[in-house]
Amino acid sequence: MLSLLALLLALALGILLGLLTNVSVPVGLLTYIGVAVLAAIDACLGGVKASLERNFQDNAFISGFITNTLMAAFIVFVGDRIGVRELYLAAVVAFGTRIFRHLGDVRRLLFDRWGWG
Amino acid sequence: MFRVPYRPALLAVFGVLGLLIAVAFNTTSRLAEARPARVSSLIDVVHSMEDQRDELEDRLADLRGELGDLERKAADSTGVSASFSRELDRVRQTAGLSAVTGPGVEVVLGDGMDVGAGTDPNDYLIHDTDIAIVVNALFVGGAEALEVNGERVVATTPIRCAGTTVLVNSSRLGNPYVIKAIGDPVALERAILEDDTASLLFTVYKSQLGLQANITQMNEVSVSGYRGSMRPQYLRQPDGGA
Repeated sequence: MLSLLALLLALALGILLGLLTNVSVPVGLLTYIGVAVLAAIDACLGGVKASLERNFQDNAFISGFITNTLMAAFIVFVGDRIGVRELYLAAVVAFGTRIFRHLGDVRRLLFDRWGWG
Repeated sequence: MFRVPYRPALLAVFGVLGLLIAVAFNTTSRLAEARPARVSSLIDVVHSMEDQRDELEDRLADLRGELGDLERKAADSTGVSASFSRELDRVRQTAGLSAVTGPGVEVVLGDGMDVGAGTDPNDYLIHDTDIAIVVNALFVGGAEALEVNGERVVATTPIRCAGTTVLVNSSRLGNPYVIKAIGDPVALERAILEDDTASLLFTVYKSQLGLQANITQMNEVSVSGYRGSMRPQYLRQPDGGA
């Protein structure tokens, strides 16, 4: 439970840092931030899942997060350039699917761990 | 749970997630507070300026009336010829500063009904260009005085689009638009109907788009005087001119 708290603490720390520094981006980049948020949620849940499975590897985790985010940003960028703005939906749908799958896995793993299954 | 080894990398990405959420929040909340505040303050500015303009126009009308009285008195007392005074009145009338009346036409232009999907709503609205075209046609037909919704059209009158309204002189006018013109009623109506562009409003557009577009010949039309100011800053008599 303590480690789960640590994760939430890290999340809160990030939010606090962002709110205190009051950093914002130009409106045109809001889509990138949105996609990056999804990529980060996906990575976080994937990381928790891997940890619960005792399968967490720093290299795989960090490189996965970075390449996923870069690819998502690239898709948004290309969509902007070729006039198909909706292309970013491809990234949103992909991350959305992964997020819910991870969530389900994490839920089941926690049940196992807590003996509720 | 104690034994699940969450790695620093995972903690870091959680932190990044929090940061990203905060940045997105900062950006959207900044947007949200920026927009309506700016719009509403601009609307306030416009309203207060319009109130100010109306006050000034009223004062201008009073002063012009006073000036006329003083000139007449001066003409009487100093014996300046009555013809000079009459000339002044005539010039004022020609310039559009006084209300006038005479035979003419009344043209009503109104927005049509939007018939639904797949159509451009702009097609169903009366635009500044429609009004300008009709006004031009009326002048071609020999209109001697002309007003749009009570705004006298003089030599310096602009007719242009201002959002959902049409700006004539410095007044924002709304649908429907009533154009009154003094002149030969028959010639005025014919001038509109013979103008290739203006006539479309009263034929095709009217029947196809349901626009309101009517011309009525009148024995008596009243056209108001120009209420705005006339204070040329740059023009002067050419050298050697009279």
